[in-house]
Amino acid sequence: MLWSSPIPYVVGALFHLALGMLFVDQLAVRRQAVIQPLFPLAGFLLLVMAPLLTMRSIAEEARTGTLDVLQAAGVRARPLVLGKWVAAWVTSLAVLAPALLFVLLLAWWGDPDPGPMIAGFVGLALFAATLTGLGVLASSLTSSQPVAAIVALFLALLFWFADVADDAPRAGSLLLRFSLRERLRSFASGALDTSDVAWFVLLVVATLVLAAQAVEGRKLR
Amino acid sequence: MIQASGLIRRYGGREAVRDVTFSVAPGEVVGFLGPNGAGKSTTMRLLLGLLRPHGGTASIDGNAGYLPEQFAAYDALSVRSYLRFIARMKAIEGDDIERVLGAAGVADLGDRPVARLSKGQRQRVGMAQALLGRPGAYVLDEPTQGLDPKQVVETRGLIRSLATADGAAVLLSTHLLAEVAAMCDRVIVIVRGRIVADEPLGDMDDLEARFLRLVGESELA
Repeated sequence: MLWSSPIPYVVGALFHLALGMLFVDQLAVRRQAVIQPLFPLAGFLLLVMAPLLTMRSIAEEARTGTLDVLQAAGVRARPLVLGKWVAAWVTSLAVLAPALLFVLLLAWWGDPDPGPMIAGFVGLALFAATLTGLGVLASSLTSSQPVAAIVALFLALLFWFADVADDAPRAGSLLLRFSLRERLRSFASGALDTSDVAWFVLLVVATLVLAAQAVEGRKLR
Repeated sequence: MIQASGLIRRYGGREAVRDVTFSVAPGEVVGFLGPNGAGKSTTMRLLLGLLRPHGGTASIDGNAGYLPEQFAAYDALSVRSYLRFIARMKAIEGDDIERVLGAAGVADLGDRPVARLSKGQRQRVGMAQALLGRPGAYVLDEPTQGLDPKQVVETRGLIRSLATADGAAVLLSTHLLAEVAAMCDRVIVIVRGRIVADEPLGDMDDLEARFLRLVGESELA
């Protein structure tokens, strides 16, 4: 149903407009054909894009009553949440896909290193998976789309900026592990670290389990 | 068979459903009457597992066809696509779509987007999705709401035939006493969350006077 609404088209157009301007500006400043600046920029824009793609997923079903029809038809919370997340993640990847054109552009301008490109896009895909997981979780907690978007954005920003407290002893090193920005930076540098992959996968699983529990929890309200 | 045994459901500190016990046998149409806020919809949602009871048990043998009070579908889909989707969710084998389109009186609306349906047409699509797979039990929350007089007569005939021809157990809520008189074998009256009458229709000489007396007595109690 997501592609029948204008949301992915509008969000995608604004995303690539902003990404194109910021990335070209970065290339102009650096005067180098490198892909690395693309990933933190795309990651930050994804923080805003993902909540807009996921806000409807469960909140709208709950508001209109279609969730009741699905559950009465025998659809269980876990497959429902998983289906919503897969749809949102695939949509976010489709919206991200035109960013691959920057690779062609860079190849035309210079001779960029393919390692950071591959690792960076894998990192972005995993990052999108995590953000859509957080978004589906936020959407499962409310029947209001705007509230779902705000909660998802807040959660995403919390994880993105978790490393700002890295000066603090103990808490700093712990929070650094939670920072999505740091994990994405690691991919952008060309490193495909299994601990980073595992962290993203763990976050996705955790958000989906919590979202399924929230859907089940609606029966207790 | 539809069965409720000692059902209790609270919202905050208020008991919306109090010790509700009844059953609906196969081949029986039971009218569920009560003033607004009496607990009809809550009881129905408990029966379908959409709400969890704070006490007692609810069960329905096999699958249940459910028509909610405010039926909503996915606006972007055509009626036929929507029914196909719900059939998949119900894991129904074979093509049951054309049969239910015809039975619900919407055979000519199969290709129309749900967004372009009138309220009465939506209600009949809701009835069509409830019929998918020939369930052994139906829970119908105000099934003739929004229908014109001709559609009301057709829907009443359809509901009656679900019990007589298919041998299904049908529980339907309504505010229309004439509807109960036209369709039901038995009447259950609920007031303030408590069942105050469970009687065969034939035992009620004057349904309206009996209903008003029951409600009046319970409201005063």
